[in-house]
Amino acid sequence: PRAGRPAASAAAPSRVRARPHQLSARRVSRGARVEGHGALTMELSEYVQKGFQMLADPGSFDSNAFTLLLRAAFQSLLDAQADEAVLDHPDLKHIDPVVLKHCHTAAATYILEAGKQRADKSTLSTYLEDCKFDRERIELFCTEYQNNKNSLESLLGSIGRSLPHITDVSWRLEYQIKTNQLHKMYRPAYLVTLNVENTDSRSHPEISFSCNMEQLQDLVGKLKDASKSLERATQL
Amino acid sequence: MLLDLSEEHKEHLAFLPQVDSTVVAEFGRIAVEFLRRGSNPKIYEGAARKLNVSSDTVQHGVEGLTYLLTESSKLMISELDFQDSVFVLGFSEELNKLLLQLYLDNRKEIRTILSELAPDLPSYHSLEWRLDVQLASRSLRQQIKPSVTIKLHLNQNGDHSTKVLQTDPATLLHLVQQLEQALEEMKTNHCRRVVRSIK
Repeated sequence: PRAGRPAASAAAPSRVRARPHQLSARRVSRGARVEGHGALTMELSEYVQKGFQMLADPGSFDSNAFTLLLRAAFQSLLDAQADEAVLDHPDLKHIDPVVLKHCHTAAATYILEAGKQRADKSTLSTYLEDCKFDRERIELFCTEYQNNKNSLESLLGSIGRSLPHITDVSWRLEYQIKTNQLHKMYRPAYLVTLNVENTDSRSHPEISFSCNMEQLQDLVGKLKDASKSLERATQL
Repeated sequence: MLLDLSEEHKEHLAFLPQVDSTVVAEFGRIAVEFLRRGSNPKIYEGAARKLNVSSDTVQHGVEGLTYLLTESSKLMISELDFQDSVFVLGFSEELNKLLLQLYLDNRKEIRTILSELAPDLPSYHSLEWRLDVQLASRSLRQQIKPSVTIKLHLNQNGDHSTKVLQTDPATLLHLVQQLEQALEEMKTNHCRRVVRSIK
């Protein structure tokens, strides 16, 4: 993965077809292919497929266990506080922990991929059918997915590099009277501080600068232009 | 308010009556130029040769004149006060008039230069902006995420710096609103009263 890619450029495809020798153990390209919306395909590894096949089997997972595992997968992804304890449910205790972990990971992997590609219900259904899910389980999955779709997309959308982001502004108005180099100044001056957030480093640097009335008017004027442009663009 | 001139200062200025008024005018021009761009000792040597005095004398003369002008400009003393301050030097009427004219002509610019010496925060120079729409990222496809990219140009002690920042439409509106309030503040009664009473 190339960490330096800016978020706004075309997304790096997650397929590795062009370079078969650089496949990681997970992404063997023999996995099931699913036609997504707009002919985007999701390639999922054998690992994921196997996990789903186990999930489909009522012998390994009864209805209740299935639902619990599914919810645990979503929780692991979307709840910041979640940890390994998501799988600590009494109704899951009877299942082999290795199997449990495999299916949990498979489900989470698929959910992320589906979220990334904005998969619709028919895409999900098709894939789950291929994995031999019965009608009931497909419905359960889709419902659960629909309930969590917005949070999932929000989370995915927030990942990535971007420029330092302005979150707020504060200002101070002062009336300058004198300095040791200059007396009788008698003029207003502003001190403006922009609160800025860096997405990756989570640091909050501030940018402060001074300006006189004219300069502040220039600044505000330009921001207003940008704002109006934005309004016009969104009305197109 | 009168200027308080030290003995040493008066000594240096004592050179001025010994030369032509055109020379004094030239010294005045050199003094301001040195304030703008820093001093250049070679000028002193050239002038010293022409006037047949030591370059030290020329230097003191110019520096004395510079200090006279900067102190007067800093304190923003009135014409009358300037004249009274210079009177103690015992110069001719003509020279006094010349010095006053030098002060009045250059005061504004000298004050601008002096203001640049104050403890300094970066100051606003200008701003460029650009509208962007994010369409996709590695982690999420099919997005429509508008944002505004801003390039802020700042000056500090003569150095120019730029900061590239981004913000979303909602925050942009918030910024405009907050800063407009800041501008409005100067027009309030409170601020007007303060400005009126500090003079």
